[in-house]
Amino acid sequence: MKKVYKCLPAIVFVLFIVVMMALFIILPKKEYSSSEKRYLQQAPAFSFQSLMSGDFGDDFEKFLSDQTAGRNFWVGLSAYYNYCIGNNGSTGIYKCTDDYLVNDPEDMSNLMRNVGYIEEFAESCPVDTTVLIAPSTGYICSDILPAVHGEYRDDEMFSEMKETLSSAAFVDIRDTFKDEYADGNQIYYKTDHHWTAYGAYTAYKALGETLGYTPLTQSDYEITSYPDFYGTTYSSSGFWMNPSDTLEIWDNPANDAVVTTAVTEGDETSEQQDMFYYTHLEEDDKYPVYLDGNHPYTVITNQDADSDKKLLVIKDSFAHSLVPFLADHYSEIIMVDFRYYVSPVSQLIESEGIDQVLVLYSIDNLATDTNVGRIG
Amino acid sequence: MVFSSLLFLFMYLPVVLILYYICPRKWRNLLLFIVNLVFYGWGEPVFVTLMIFSTIVDYTCGWFINKYRETDKRKAKRFVVASVIINLSLLGFFKYAGFLTETLNYLPFLNIPALKIPLPIGISFYTFQTMSYSIDVYRGDAPVQKNIITFGTYVSLFPQLIAGPIVRYKDVAYQLNHRRETLDDFTKGVCIFCVGLAKKVLIANQMGALWDKLLQNDMPNGWLGSWVGIIAYTFQIYFDFSGYSDMACGLGNMFGFEFLKNFNYPYISKSITEFWRRWHISLGTWFREYMYIPLGGNRKGMARQMLNLLIVWFLTGFWHGADFNFIFWGLYFGVLLVLEKFVLKKWLDKAPAFVQHIYALFFIIFGWVLFYFSDLGQMGAFITSMFGFGGTVISADAGALALSYLPMLLVAAFASTPVMTKLYRKIENTKAAPALKTAFCIVVLGISTALLVSQSYNPFLYFRF
Repeated sequence: MKKVYKCLPAIVFVLFIVVMMALFIILPKKEYSSSEKRYLQQAPAFSFQSLMSGDFGDDFEKFLSDQTAGRNFWVGLSAYYNYCIGNNGSTGIYKCTDDYLVNDPEDMSNLMRNVGYIEEFAESCPVDTTVLIAPSTGYICSDILPAVHGEYRDDEMFSEMKETLSSAAFVDIRDTFKDEYADGNQIYYKTDHHWTAYGAYTAYKALGETLGYTPLTQSDYEITSYPDFYGTTYSSSGFWMNPSDTLEIWDNPANDAVVTTAVTEGDETSEQQDMFYYTHLEEDDKYPVYLDGNHPYTVITNQDADSDKKLLVIKDSFAHSLVPFLADHYSEIIMVDFRYYVSPVSQLIESEGIDQVLVLYSIDNLATDTNVGRIG
Repeated sequence: MVFSSLLFLFMYLPVVLILYYICPRKWRNLLLFIVNLVFYGWGEPVFVTLMIFSTIVDYTCGWFINKYRETDKRKAKRFVVASVIINLSLLGFFKYAGFLTETLNYLPFLNIPALKIPLPIGISFYTFQTMSYSIDVYRGDAPVQKNIITFGTYVSLFPQLIAGPIVRYKDVAYQLNHRRETLDDFTKGVCIFCVGLAKKVLIANQMGALWDKLLQNDMPNGWLGSWVGIIAYTFQIYFDFSGYSDMACGLGNMFGFEFLKNFNYPYISKSITEFWRRWHISLGTWFREYMYIPLGGNRKGMARQMLNLLIVWFLTGFWHGADFNFIFWGLYFGVLLVLEKFVLKKWLDKAPAFVQHIYALFFIIFGWVLFYFSDLGQMGAFITSMFGFGGTVISADAGALALSYLPMLLVAAFASTPVMTKLYRKIENTKAAPALKTAFCIVVLGISTALLVSQSYNPFLYFRF
């Protein structure tokens, strides 16, 4: 017995590595990781060629790490361990007060290059261009950030953007958001990087004057709440014990019979009579409920709109929750996403008879997107 | 394959341990030889041929050296020379040919197509090991190894194959055939392995992350930020390297081997001379025994000694990497050592201890700047920022990073001193020791697994947009 006790470290060590190996071999292999939104590596096929090229070895290593027993548990342990040793934000996400999980400051070195592309476009564009950039969550909700955090340089970047974008109407939403947030409204999700329906509504109100419409009031909408929303910052953070968020849908009942959404993906276009894709509410990440998430080319038509104007929206996914509000005022809204859409925009403006252009990005995405150059 | 990977911890190691201990003793070297080759060839199976080639060549040379050693010294010497030339050619071709062609192309009239040869892992280590074998046999310091499998086991021994320590043949000659695996040694090995794993995954990787993040910042970090960065790198390289050596020694113990210590708290040194007695000891020993002393060491006058030192340090630097900055780094230490020997020593000995520590640490840390930057422009920019020529003290982002990693920086500083070992010596023989060691191993294994698994956790962020 004494001997066993003396060798306890060795026994525990061998048990640990053997059990981890056994579990890896025995446990059924997962195909898909919903929190990572990617397919996991499966057992690689063995061949002499793949062995000699080293591919078999690489794939096997991926297979092993993708299928490690208790993978999500380990990822969570790593997140909380780093948090405990003072390194909040080791995964790029800060665990903030009030259950917010917030992206750390993005590298802004490429932002102004992209803004330059937008300015060039606005200068030569035959119709009016309006630009709205969503500030970062960490900048607006600065009071919830941990004591030690990187610097959100939104103020500096917004003044530079305003200066550069002389040919476009720049709608600066910073103060409105800060006031709304100070009044206790939730502008951004706690478990996702997007703005909430309320945040999007606030931006919609602010855009009215420049785009030329009278915004609807809050009471014009039927608001439904959907709990258990676990968005992108939740799934990248590993803070699995963080509570979920609630997603709201603001629906104008008057639109139900008259608005159609047409989503084009490749050569195929699918239509539906609504702007909300309710099946996505069954997933952890519910944000694609708005306009079915990311697509190269989406058209929203409203037979009963205030005007017969046509709006082109050049955007990232922040637009998905905002455009449903705009649909009341335009007979047709075309959304293009440069990450997937490759045809020239100038042609589109001409062929579709566009009256106004709205460029809508979040600052983080605009700073990191490498496809904005396609706007020219 | 590296030790700090899920593949090694949860597949290779358990399989090898099980096979090794169910295998009859007489087949164990053969088994080790085979699993060594699997370990070595995992990423690049082609290079297994290189390892087998190395084994056959040095085995043959050793055999002939032994045959002629007593009767015909000249012939024996020829085989030593052959072994050294073949080993150095392997190293030269795979490690230095690319650098050489690139450098020669700076000459205006030359335009050689640049050679891009992938570096076989561990080649710097095992070529040095096999050379030590031929030389030791020639000198009569080690017996010849008649069994080629046993010799192959030595050449390819997986624990120290990739990153040392450089085990001289004479140090393990006896163990290769007569080692006795015991449960006590195995337990000791497990504990040393876990210490190494902790150094590598819990400290070095964290320090590396801090250094990388500081280098990637889009705004200048400020002079203090630069110092935090290079100090983090100073810790990273020590804990990475010595952690790997510890893991190698621990694994050696698990299979009945006993390797010599490779690091002895280098950062508590009071001089550069002392630092090199404590840093990468097996490499320093190798160069002293097979290079410095044969060149005449300090026995041929002061001028010759200085030259010898500079030659050895030029080669030590160049051994670390095929680039100019490694040569500078080596010569930098060569010059410092010469200065210490002939000028600074008297003055240093009289200085208070803390001055000696600051002196040594400053030059060690500054040395890592030379070691890290192979781009001389970047190196210059970094040195400029370190000495604050027209910069801020520390940028907001660098400050936030430094504070986030402050606890680990302090842990690293603490773990660089022998305090923990002294504490351990005190409890080593108490009743609670096995329980404490077990708890330590569980914590290290658990957190290391978590950190290693989380590296593979890559949310596919198309949905970020």
